[in-house]
Amino acid sequence: MPSTFNAIVPMACLVAAAIAAMTAEVFRDPGERVPIAPLGVIGLAGAGLASALLWGHNATSFGVVTADNFGLFVTGVLLVIGLASLALSPSTIEHERLPRGEYYTLMLFGLSGMVLMATASDLLVIFLALEVMSIAVYVLTGLRRDSAAATEAAFKYFLLGAFASAFFLYGIAFAYGLTGSTRLDRIGNLIAAQALSPTPLHLLAVGLLLVGLAFKVSAVPFHMWAPDAYEAAPTAVTGFMSTGVKAAAFAAFVRIFLSALEPLHGQWSPIVWAIAAATMILGTVVGVAQVSVKRMLAYSSIAHGGYLLVALVSANDYGKGAVLFYLLAYAVANVGAFGVIAVLEQADRQADRVQAYAGLWSRRPALALLMTMFLLSLGGFPPLAGFIAKWYVLSAAIASGNNWLAIIGVLTSVVSVFFYLRIVVMMYMTPGADRPAAVGPAVPRLAGAALVVSAIAVLYLGTLPARVLDLAAASISTIF
Amino acid sequence: MTFPILTSLVALPIVGALVLLLIGDEERNAPLIRQTALIVAVLVFAQTLLLWARFNPETADYQFVERYAWIPAFGISYAVGVDGISLFLLVLTGFLTPLALLSSWESVHSKVRAFSLALLLLESAMMGVFISLDLFLFYVFWDAMLIPMYFLIGIWGYERRVYAAVKFILYTMAGSVLMLLAILGLAALHFTATGAYSFDLARLSELTVPAHLQFWFFLAFALAFAIKVPLFPFHTWLPDAHVEAPTAGSVILAGVLLKMGTYGLVRFAFPLFPTAATFFAPHLALLAVISIVYGALVAMVQPDMKKLVAYSSISHLGFVVLGIAAMNLQGVQGAVFQMVSHGVSTGGLFLLVGMLSDRRHTRLIAEFGGLKRVTPRLVAVFLIITLSSIGVPGLNGFVGEFLILLGAFSWDPRLTAVAATGVILSATYMLWMFQRVNYGAVTNQKNAGLADLGTREWAVIVPIVALVVLMGVLPTIFLRPMEASVERLVSRVRSSVPVEIRAN
Repeated sequence: MPSTFNAIVPMACLVAAAIAAMTAEVFRDPGERVPIAPLGVIGLAGAGLASALLWGHNATSFGVVTADNFGLFVTGVLLVIGLASLALSPSTIEHERLPRGEYYTLMLFGLSGMVLMATASDLLVIFLALEVMSIAVYVLTGLRRDSAAATEAAFKYFLLGAFASAFFLYGIAFAYGLTGSTRLDRIGNLIAAQALSPTPLHLLAVGLLLVGLAFKVSAVPFHMWAPDAYEAAPTAVTGFMSTGVKAAAFAAFVRIFLSALEPLHGQWSPIVWAIAAATMILGTVVGVAQVSVKRMLAYSSIAHGGYLLVALVSANDYGKGAVLFYLLAYAVANVGAFGVIAVLEQADRQADRVQAYAGLWSRRPALALLMTMFLLSLGGFPPLAGFIAKWYVLSAAIASGNNWLAIIGVLTSVVSVFFYLRIVVMMYMTPGADRPAAVGPAVPRLAGAALVVSAIAVLYLGTLPARVLDLAAASISTIF
Repeated sequence: MTFPILTSLVALPIVGALVLLLIGDEERNAPLIRQTALIVAVLVFAQTLLLWARFNPETADYQFVERYAWIPAFGISYAVGVDGISLFLLVLTGFLTPLALLSSWESVHSKVRAFSLALLLLESAMMGVFISLDLFLFYVFWDAMLIPMYFLIGIWGYERRVYAAVKFILYTMAGSVLMLLAILGLAALHFTATGAYSFDLARLSELTVPAHLQFWFFLAFALAFAIKVPLFPFHTWLPDAHVEAPTAGSVILAGVLLKMGTYGLVRFAFPLFPTAATFFAPHLALLAVISIVYGALVAMVQPDMKKLVAYSSISHLGFVVLGIAAMNLQGVQGAVFQMVSHGVSTGGLFLLVGMLSDRRHTRLIAEFGGLKRVTPRLVAVFLIITLSSIGVPGLNGFVGEFLILLGAFSWDPRLTAVAATGVILSATYMLWMFQRVNYGAVTNQKNAGLADLGTREWAVIVPIVALVVLMGVLPTIFLRPMEASVERLVSRVRSSVPVEIRAN
């Protein structure tokens, strides 16, 4: 195989798995259970192997896809998210009576879009990847066809998302108009030459691209869709999209803004600064008022987007490395937290209310412990992954002189601890309703394993982060 | 390679906690779980004693130092060591944890495993705080410590335990996150100066921090520590946490956790930012004196014994901060001595209140009276510890407060004069409480049949009484090892050039 295809192999593995899943679903006899999820796992394993082999080679395909270490690191994060989501999906599928074939196919296509987005180095390909990812996620959000809320959320997500995509596309058009290219490296070179005297067109291009990406990372004020979509989507899907979409979108965000548009840093950084501050504040403050756990985690996820934006604004090497490490730390904890919800939902329909967690410690001590670890990691407590991630972001902010952003960041993280602890209070310190027998069915073995592995990852990244930090730091030198 | 004694102080409780997880059937094996936890805690205490025995009092340097790279890219290392200032706080932690476990032998019935686990993990984190020589490591332990304490208060506490637990964790975090930023700022400064990140205390102490930055960094550190101490007006979490916490939680909270605030001032805030510290010392001392008087006055009117002891802690720790602010040999030595001494006597008071509360399920002073006739032995012990808390010569409380006042007087006589009223006030509220609980006739019939100290309770309280007397009679064995370290600290802070600082 000519080496020009190398960079797209990880994505191709996922696409192949998705097509295989689709075919298997189409040709199965009614009532026959085809092992579709294992197909996905094979695809993911292939993608993982390909990524590992590509590491350090800086392969490019057709000049528009670059499997540099940055892209491969994000690909790795995405594969972790994908594996965990596949393992956690069966309970949700069973419980919500979702069509299995469509579910896995969409998830794999979405994942391939995300991987492409992480490795694309051309604005049009990024757009393509964005759409592949988004359309799959829109459908997954509305997959519960009998639920009015899910349909409404999916429709809202789709309409707003289509708008944002249009903004993004318009931004690409302006960027092309200014530079005559959609390739990030060429845009970067030309913008660097023009940056001394930026015209309104530059600002317009930057602003439009920013709107498109800010929507995908659910930054304030483009976050309106997120709580509804997160709440209404099947829980395993929420875990998948709250981490995967964010990781892919941030990879593109970093690539576009910290390489191609880096020369205009002076122009865009005040805007992103304000967006980051607003995102952290709104995400945490509104999160405090939620009674639905999924909605609360939706706001928490918005707030985490804000911390990632802080790393982006810092625009130094620490910031880039921090984005990578933060994405990983956030992904394992958040997928884990949604995984616990998914597992519990199976046992009792009301798992979405905070009150449903009352006395969980007595009923399901292991699940309560896992949930506590994930929540404390999201809250940034040592010695868990979230602490190291927050610390990395904060050191990037301090090193770049964004002291106020760092102060807003730490203060909002204290507020966020309040709502994470609400669930912990419910689980440990509130006696459950009088239904001692409501222990529910056992946790599926695969889901349990995924949760335990996530928890170990959270602990590992929190106590012995040196290796992954080095890896993240080594991944940022090659962005383009 | 020598035996890593400091690491084992942190690691042994964690190992013990893991062992507890292996014991099956919590309900049936509760005694086994309790015994295992106690054995581990006693072993840790034995190690701290060994540390004391092998400690070299002649040098001001850190001893038993261990240093391993942890996150090399950021110059973060696992660096631990002990000097004369931290030595006795380690011994105190090792001393109080087994007593806390023992005190909950009968009062904690549910979830014994988790309870013992939380206490052991807490002990590990507390040890970590006192031995860290790397600011990052220190912060990790400092924050990690909150979680087990949060569970201790929230699960095994009294009625309003959830409110108290959440308040405790949010207050402490709000203070400490700004300290985290200051630590990062300091590391960034080190980067600008030398081209490499470092969180190492020794390296950071060598930095010349510009005066206006010292101002902000010191404020961030001081806020974190002032909340922890707690100094007026940051004290409101303390009465809630103390009143709602189970006895073991209160003992550890008052005995060790509060000391982390004052320890932080001595170890980090003052030596790292000497110029700002000299500038802010009078303000800090003023807050300390307000805490002394305010805490004492509020303690006087408390109907609840536990709340009274909690407010008395605010008052006593005001003395400690005053001694630190004075920054001379007597003041700081007295402060460190008083930290340990307060841990012992207030720990003792909380244990006694816990024993009464176990018997009567109330802590209201008005519910008691005339206990001297019913439980003479308990009252005798109560008297000794009350006197120690007041600061009667011959017992531990006197030495610390006397040294602090001596040091503070040569620094600022006016503040010291006001602070000295705290000594009189403490006699008032303590003796008045003691009198109402123990003297007079037995007015409440429920008190008539109370049991006196049992064997387990003797085992809890005798070590406390012994230490109270030992520290009062032979203070030198405690003061001598800390002298060299304190001297060096004082000369370091004093030698800084006092300049006028403006906020900008």
